[in-house]
Amino acid sequence: MKYAKVSFEDVTVGDELPPLHKGPIEQIQLTRYAGASGDFNPIHQDDAFARAAGMGGVFAHGMLSMGFVAQALTDWAGVGTVRKLGVRFAALVRLRDVVTCRGRVLAKSSKDDVHTVELEVWAENQRGEKVVSGRATLALAARA
Amino acid sequence: MPIQVNTSVVGKEYPPFPVTVERGKIKDFARAIGDLNPFYLDDRVGAASEWGDVIAPPTFAVTFRDERADAGALLRDLGVDIARVLHGEQEFEIVRQLTPGETYLCRTKVVDIYEKTGKSGPMAFVVRETAITDRTNEIVATMRNVMVIRL
Repeated sequence: MKYAKVSFEDVTVGDELPPLHKGPIEQIQLTRYAGASGDFNPIHQDDAFARAAGMGGVFAHGMLSMGFVAQALTDWAGVGTVRKLGVRFAALVRLRDVVTCRGRVLAKSSKDDVHTVELEVWAENQRGEKVVSGRATLALAARA
Repeated sequence: MPIQVNTSVVGKEYPPFPVTVERGKIKDFARAIGDLNPFYLDDRVGAASEWGDVIAPPTFAVTFRDERADAGALLRDLGVDIARVLHGEQEFEIVRQLTPGETYLCRTKVVDIYEKTGKSGPMAFVVRETAITDRTNEIVATMRNVMVIRL
């Protein structure tokens, strides 16, 4: 179910997030993300600039892919649950790529009524290559 | 010839800058990601939520910018052209949700610069941390950014 909220008790180590498919990435989305984020680096907008920089053409903001990963987490666990999200940008996302965000529960713990879940998270392109990899910590509510 | 990066920038603290979160900015940001979650976009859903208003998506604090403290200011200090820059890593720690109308103070510091040689040649890694505090000086969120410079 979209915009669900999982309870701490319903999460088991090894559980996988429902995959979130984003894209295909279009130039207009990169322009829109530039405007919304304030990151106007021409390397994401201007193909000639990106080629001259040796990047072989325009590529997506890493932060856009990180936004996708955050969405995969909040679609599953609910908004306001993310306590920590850290990622490495492992490969470039190009125009027309489809990005699939995934995650897996690594650990659960409870301390002082705070129930946290640790996940590994990643995003891959349509060839299955990792473009983002990282870790997330979510705080989940327990069932009353 | 690899370029030189001005490593004396390590330890530099940029001028603190205030940011007031705008409702429309949250919505534009969520829509730009294609995340149409009603807790970001629908004021009525937000008002009925535990936060009493819409909240910002987890990565929203990346929009907190000031030209005296942003990547452009850092690149001037490093003596590096933007065409050499890639985003290497990013981390957010979120203590409290960011909500419209709130004013926060951002403090960015360069905490490390190191060099490594990867598949595509020598690279410098510049690590910055930004602390985001509220009006009572309580920490609301922190960001850690690793910029990669192709030398």
